[in-house]
Amino acid sequence: MSEFMGYHRPNGDVGIRNHLLILSGTVYANGVCERVADTIHGAVPIVHANGRCQVAPDLRVTRRFLAGTAMNPNVGAVVIIDHFKEEGMTAEDLAADIAPTGKLIATVNIRGEGGFISAVEKATRYAQDFARQISLYRRAAAPMSQILFGTECGTSDTTSGLASNPANGLAGEILIAQGGRMLMAECTEWMGCENWLTEKAASPAVAEAIVAGVQHMEARALASGEDIRGSQPTGDNMAGGLTTIEEKSMGAVKKIGDSPIIEYLEIAEAPTRTEPGNYVMYGPGMGAESISSMAAAGCQVLTFCTGGGHTSNHPIMPTIKVTGNRGSYELMRDTVDVDVSGVFVDEITLAEAGRIVYDEVARVCNGYLTKSEALRDNNSFAIHRVGPSI
Amino acid sequence: MKKVFVVYATDNVGTAVLEPIQVGDHVSCNGERSDLEVIAQANIAYGHKIALMDIAAGDTVLKYGLSIGSASCEIKAGDHVHTHNVESNRGRGDLAERSAVATE
Repeated sequence: MSEFMGYHRPNGDVGIRNHLLILSGTVYANGVCERVADTIHGAVPIVHANGRCQVAPDLRVTRRFLAGTAMNPNVGAVVIIDHFKEEGMTAEDLAADIAPTGKLIATVNIRGEGGFISAVEKATRYAQDFARQISLYRRAAAPMSQILFGTECGTSDTTSGLASNPANGLAGEILIAQGGRMLMAECTEWMGCENWLTEKAASPAVAEAIVAGVQHMEARALASGEDIRGSQPTGDNMAGGLTTIEEKSMGAVKKIGDSPIIEYLEIAEAPTRTEPGNYVMYGPGMGAESISSMAAAGCQVLTFCTGGGHTSNHPIMPTIKVTGNRGSYELMRDTVDVDVSGVFVDEITLAEAGRIVYDEVARVCNGYLTKSEALRDNNSFAIHRVGPSI
Repeated sequence: MKKVFVVYATDNVGTAVLEPIQVGDHVSCNGERSDLEVIAQANIAYGHKIALMDIAAGDTVLKYGLSIGSASCEIKAGDHVHTHNVESNRGRGDLAERSAVATE
């Protein structure tokens, strides 16, 4: 069994990055968060539009996204900033969720500090201290079984289901053979492939949950009163030759291989099981929300399969773009990491493509920067909403 | 001779992931249907699909050996197969009664 060099956290998790997070509790703390992160070496701001005037089920999901992002093994320390007291969503509430990980946590309340300037000062002093403390952390050997490998596809075209996604599924099988776990979300894109997935379910309960998850997402589409084709497949999918959601799904589910599906998770929920295999999560096809839900579930690394050449990159979970479309790779060379289009012209076999994807994942786990990380194009933190603003 | 990729032996469409196809091109198949040959009746852009046989209106369009929708009109062998002649059968709120969205 092979190893990687990672950051060992107090709770036993192993990260592949060592980020200092400046976490906004509510939309109204975003400005302070960004100002603090501007000042501090290596600090990553997590800002968003939520945390206020949400109905309870929706607020609970937002809290899972925010706390889960800070709990991700790639985070070494977190400064949480809120602006006032929102029931069920204060900086202290988030800190309590994160505390079991044993990582460095500080909270700052803007009103409590007497406004923006004082809050920025206090949070900046915490952040400076944390940045220096975590700079002493060193990578050490860990088994690949520690890796929760997320997978996503976006701006898919017909090459996705024939090259990048099946290659990715084979890469996942290599990790699973070493005791690791692979996570796939986007249940919209299981629509039409329920049987293909339930055949892999490790138990009848997992199979039932998969079918119910797809039905729930389809009900959301039906309740809109519109044809799902208005949003799925997307315009770029259709330009790439994908005709229907069923066709898109058949390509999308090939992102995982043939190993059993061990557990079905609600959105942004961490796995409770540790067995090697595939894990699946409820969630939308919207890429930024989907990959943010997988980062919140604890994925240290993610492959993002793309036909047209997607720009998505999560701020704390390295996002490796893989394409089977050579034109997209040539066009988006500064953004797309791996080209497996050789499978169409007999340059490489699909098995070799799987090994190429796995090798890139292993390099990134050992600290190799993805193209988008090097550019700090941290565009893909987004929180899925399950209720209206009130 | 141009080539398209066919995923599964029962598929009635192939995908132009090797090269784009022009109207009148003779097209053969890589993958699971090396026996089939059609003449393109339309230009098929890179990544798009071509019908490998006649498909009657309402019949199932098959890729990966599974339904990707139904033909919304008659499709002839060699035709471009896309949103203008295939309809999804899933998530069709325009065909359904309005119902409440669950919240979590």
